[in-house]
Amino acid sequence: MRDKKNNVILEEYDNEFSYERSKTNLNIEFNRVAFIFFVFLIISVIYSIQLLHLGSLKKMMNNIKPTITKKNYRADIIDRNGNYLVKTVDSINVGIHPAKVIDKKHLLLMLNHIYKNKNFSEIKNKLDQDKFFYLEKNIRPKRYEELMMLGDKSISSEASLIRLYPQDNLFSHIIGQIDGDNNGISGIEKFFNEELKKINEPLKLTVDLDIQFLIREELLRFQKIFKAKGSAAILMNVNNGEILSMVSLPDFNLNKRETIKDVNYINRITKGTYELGSVFKTFTIASGINAGLIEPDTEFLDSKKIISCGKNHNIEEYDNKMPSDLTVEQILIKSGNIGSVRIARKVGIERHKSFLKTIGILDKIDFDIAEVGKPLAIDWNEGCKLETIAFGHGITTTILQLAKGYSIITNGGFDIKPTLIKKISDSNEKKKVLKNDVSKKMNSILRKVVSEGTAKLVNVEGYQVGGKTGTAEQVNNSIYSNIKINTLASIFPTENPKYVLVVMLESTKNNKEYIYEYRDGSGFKLKGSPRNTAGWTSVEAAGKIIDKIGPILATKYIEN
Amino acid sequence: MKKVVFATIFILILATSLVKNSTKEIEDKILMINENISSLKSELGDVLLEYNYLSSPDKLTQYQTQYFIKDLIKINIMKIKEITEKNNLIKISDLVKRRSYDER
Repeated sequence: MRDKKNNVILEEYDNEFSYERSKTNLNIEFNRVAFIFFVFLIISVIYSIQLLHLGSLKKMMNNIKPTITKKNYRADIIDRNGNYLVKTVDSINVGIHPAKVIDKKHLLLMLNHIYKNKNFSEIKNKLDQDKFFYLEKNIRPKRYEELMMLGDKSISSEASLIRLYPQDNLFSHIIGQIDGDNNGISGIEKFFNEELKKINEPLKLTVDLDIQFLIREELLRFQKIFKAKGSAAILMNVNNGEILSMVSLPDFNLNKRETIKDVNYINRITKGTYELGSVFKTFTIASGINAGLIEPDTEFLDSKKIISCGKNHNIEEYDNKMPSDLTVEQILIKSGNIGSVRIARKVGIERHKSFLKTIGILDKIDFDIAEVGKPLAIDWNEGCKLETIAFGHGITTTILQLAKGYSIITNGGFDIKPTLIKKISDSNEKKKVLKNDVSKKMNSILRKVVSEGTAKLVNVEGYQVGGKTGTAEQVNNSIYSNIKINTLASIFPTENPKYVLVVMLESTKNNKEYIYEYRDGSGFKLKGSPRNTAGWTSVEAAGKIIDKIGPILATKYIEN
Repeated sequence: MKKVVFATIFILILATSLVKNSTKEIEDKILMINENISSLKSELGDVLLEYNYLSSPDKLTQYQTQYFIKDLIKINIMKIKEITEKNNLIKISDLVKRRSYDER
């Protein structure tokens, strides 16, 4: 046995690895912590970006007004007090799919139980045709419930919108109509067609429901009394042009959706242009005062009864008893033609034309509805145009423009824009277009026309009404006819005018039975209208209108 | 110093999370309230329409002729009084006089 020798060689192993407790062990921990925080930082950055993104997105969302996609949507229209004049309401249409009907006889029997007065032979025919048909559109909730209770799968319903006019005729000329494609075809509905389809909030008008009703009632009454073909009245704030009421008769029921073709249904306030007669004498005198050529007490002496101008054109007084010597004030009070002509001649064509242009009589007015008439163009160099215009002949305009003219003359000489749209704030600065003293002098004269002149029947106690009458003959085919256009343009209270009221009755006739009650405190009553003039027709109507609307205006729209 | 910075960042992250969470809750509440308001507005609109129709001047005149024995009377503006309160004193004055409507 050989001894096995195991040699063990011991070598000194010089270990290169030497573990030393690092004095700066913190470095390793710092890296780890830094890494963790770095991760947190990244997360927080992502969070922040997301938050910022959401924030900007929300801001963007707020800027974009929600588009109303509901079919046939149109915004509601309300009056100045928030009363609905037009409202779009949800509605349900119910129809039948004949293909889904299981038992036609049974269905007809059940429908007969619900609809007592329906034409069932027609329904039976439609059921046989296998084509969907509407059983009833804009169904009432109770009937809808009854139909659904039948549980017949062939009966289906769909949501729709309908436009309701709770005041029927009252605002027909203002609001106008829409067609079957949900587009406005007249009035506000046409002029604001696109806006009404987009806006969420109701469109607020300047009109007052109660006042509109009262004025319409009185107009209807007097239209009947004087057998007028048509009539119109406008009540407007002289200081800001807000129209509180605008009535034109005849009118129509908006809910019936009839096609109006008869020209008698024209909007007599905005579309009809008329020769309005003596109401223009106010403008002639105001023009003279504004030019600094006359004063209310300026005298015009030795006036002739007839004066000639142009080619054989004679102008005369309507009343032979008209005095030859009159002051400017008396010319308006007595409604003198010759005196007005003399004033106009003193003013001259250019100045008078410029004045009428300034107060908005001559040009087409920019207004809030589509139906606006254009006054006939005037050839100022023709014959005696200036002279006839001085007393309101040979010049046409709309009632709306007449109201605007009277407003500017009486409100201190500030330009206004008649409007039907109620603005949130009245920020527009007023532009003065007439001299300072014109209004003060004119208001005083207009007051005397009512208290002493041709418009005594509108002298309602407590309101300081001022105004001017105008009796004109309607022009048919360039010839003056016997048809009368009787107008009163009034303002009140004359001390500080706030409202202009224009009342016009077209084609009036005398009424032998109507009893006039004089407003001079005498208690005198007169039966039957003595003359077919504005003083006995539209003035009486305006007096009754102010009687009714006056207390509302005085208390509801009180200014502190 | 670094610890303070890290701690601040950490607190900010935590605060952001909490704020976002609460914001979301508020947004949900706003959404719910808006939805409720929308349906209430629609209901109010229908009720107002009904009210406007039933209380329209036309209807009121109709009720008057149907139910009242006497005609409605016209108000004389000269008889309208105005009540004003100043220093706990109530003053009754003529409306027309105050507004200078009366003739000079």
